[in-house]
Amino acid sequence: METRTRIVEAYTNQLREHGAPPLTVHAFCKSLNLAERDFFQEFASLESVESAIWGAWISGLTARLESGAEWKEFSARHRYLTFLFAFTESSLDWRSLMLTRFNPLSPVASPPFLKAFEEHFKAFASDIISHGISTGEIAHRGQLQAVYPAVLYIHFRAVISFLLRDESKRFERTDAFIEKTVAFAFDVIRTQAIDSAFDLARFLAPSTWGKMS
Amino acid sequence: MAALVGAGARVGMNYLKHYGRQAISGQADSDALQERNASEVFRAFSELKGGPLKLAQMLSIDQSLLPPAYAKQFARAQYSTPPLSYPLVVRTFRREFGKDPRDIFDTFEPQAAHAASIGQVHRATLRGRAFAVKVQYPGVAESLRSDLGVVKPIALQILGLRERDVAAYFKEVEARLLEETDYEKELHSAMELSTACAHLPQIRFPEYHPEFSSRRVITMDWMIGEPFDVFADGPALQDHRNRIGQALWDFYAYQIHHLRHFHADPHPGNFLINGDHLCVLDFGCTKTIGPDFYSKQFAFLDPTLETNPARLAAAMESMDILLPSDTPAQRNHLTELCKKSLELLALPFRMGQFDFDNPAFMKSIYELGEENQKNGTLRGIRGQRGSADTIYLNRTFFGLYSLLSRLRSCIKTPLPEGLTFK
Repeated sequence: METRTRIVEAYTNQLREHGAPPLTVHAFCKSLNLAERDFFQEFASLESVESAIWGAWISGLTARLESGAEWKEFSARHRYLTFLFAFTESSLDWRSLMLTRFNPLSPVASPPFLKAFEEHFKAFASDIISHGISTGEIAHRGQLQAVYPAVLYIHFRAVISFLLRDESKRFERTDAFIEKTVAFAFDVIRTQAIDSAFDLARFLAPSTWGKMS
Repeated sequence: MAALVGAGARVGMNYLKHYGRQAISGQADSDALQERNASEVFRAFSELKGGPLKLAQMLSIDQSLLPPAYAKQFARAQYSTPPLSYPLVVRTFRREFGKDPRDIFDTFEPQAAHAASIGQVHRATLRGRAFAVKVQYPGVAESLRSDLGVVKPIALQILGLRERDVAAYFKEVEARLLEETDYEKELHSAMELSTACAHLPQIRFPEYHPEFSSRRVITMDWMIGEPFDVFADGPALQDHRNRIGQALWDFYAYQIHHLRHFHADPHPGNFLINGDHLCVLDFGCTKTIGPDFYSKQFAFLDPTLETNPARLAAAMESMDILLPSDTPAQRNHLTELCKKSLELLALPFRMGQFDFDNPAFMKSIYELGEENQKNGTLRGIRGQRGSADTIYLNRTFFGLYSLLSRLRSCIKTPLPEGLTFK
């Protein structure tokens, strides 16, 4: 077996069985009967192993969706929904691991072990946004739209939090949560609500500054 | 929740406007006020979807509970739910059948053709045959009970009802609503009733397809026809109206008096008209009645009750409409009310032939409801009377009379065959 695959598998097993990552590279390599230099040729740190594990999940999922027959016909909103539903479906294989690793996290925390997960998601989200802009589904807003992928990432993490707390049969409440929040989010970025909010902030901010000085 | 509280606030605002106007002009515009309030409440309910929407529809049926202005708004509820996104439909299919809709059917339209009360209908085809595929909103079944629990006190407040007056009512409504989320039961009822009624010459049912149905999906044939509303409000000739009306009456008579298991949702949206045929579409809400309840309930059709007070009192006592603890004044009041209701509701049966092209008839039924609503004495003694089973039977008759009035049909309305009075 390839060294990289061996490392990833052993690391995943360690997480699943002990609920925590290995303590040191040394101990991890010893249990694998692997030289440390072989480990470091593949990964820079223990965190980067875990990052690769979660990242591969997202990139595998998006690659599969993007090659689907109907993907090209879908609007941005439908693409994002399809991703989230595919994600919740696939999460059944990951749920125990997610409960260990995501549950203690605040939905806005950005730990090193989720680096690739976040990057892959944001890259995918940018593609969705550009698609939405090209079809006119999302209004073009210059610099402002650079934050959209970050906003979607926060939403995605909120979906994960909801999913991990969901106790309904077959997690149907999560489906409803996704449907409703995405409808709301796309209503907001389609209309002028964000522009109005910024305009209001610009209007209010100088006066606040004025009083304080 | 915010949506409902919002409605409460807006209803309050409308009252303020109303009193303000009254103070200045010296005259109140009460009907207009009620209409405005009704549309606010309706808006709040339709924003909530699912459970509360159904609750609103239910409330709109019992005319003694709701003034007509509210009822009118709520009757629209059927048409106002938002569509499910296509990815969620796909997700539901994957979960229910392990396949995409397009792997099961040759074509599957991503846009819903129309809304159903707790789901939506998509058109699909397979090997040249067209299907209507009804998909339920996810999470509806789970959230329904909690929705009702949360909404009930607010609804009671907005509508000015008292909890103990309507406790049995809510229980029955909740039971039927939960049943309505059970698509497996609906499929079963639909197949059972459509088989039992297959011999009725003018009634048509879609064929149901259990192989494409599950807890969340029901597939049936796509039916072609004119929506009931369009037919009723269109230029159809009187003769045609009578034939369709008669088919509708016979269909309900057969179910209620013979099968004692009936389609309890006579709503225009559940029927299509194709030539001389009436297509029946939705069996989400059906009701079964036992022989004991049946004989007590239909004892009220006995023509001698009108002239024989002892028999009327006996019939009322058997249904717990009159209780042994009632004072003579209360007995009188309830007896008068019962007589008035009977004169109106049993009228078609008594005539044997009835012309529903008579706006005064439906108006009197509405007015009776209004009157009961405003009747303080009645509200004081209403309590837990009668059987909860009557709710859906009344709803069915009320719905049937409304449909026949819209059709303006003149039809034969005989007493049920084989009904005898002790």
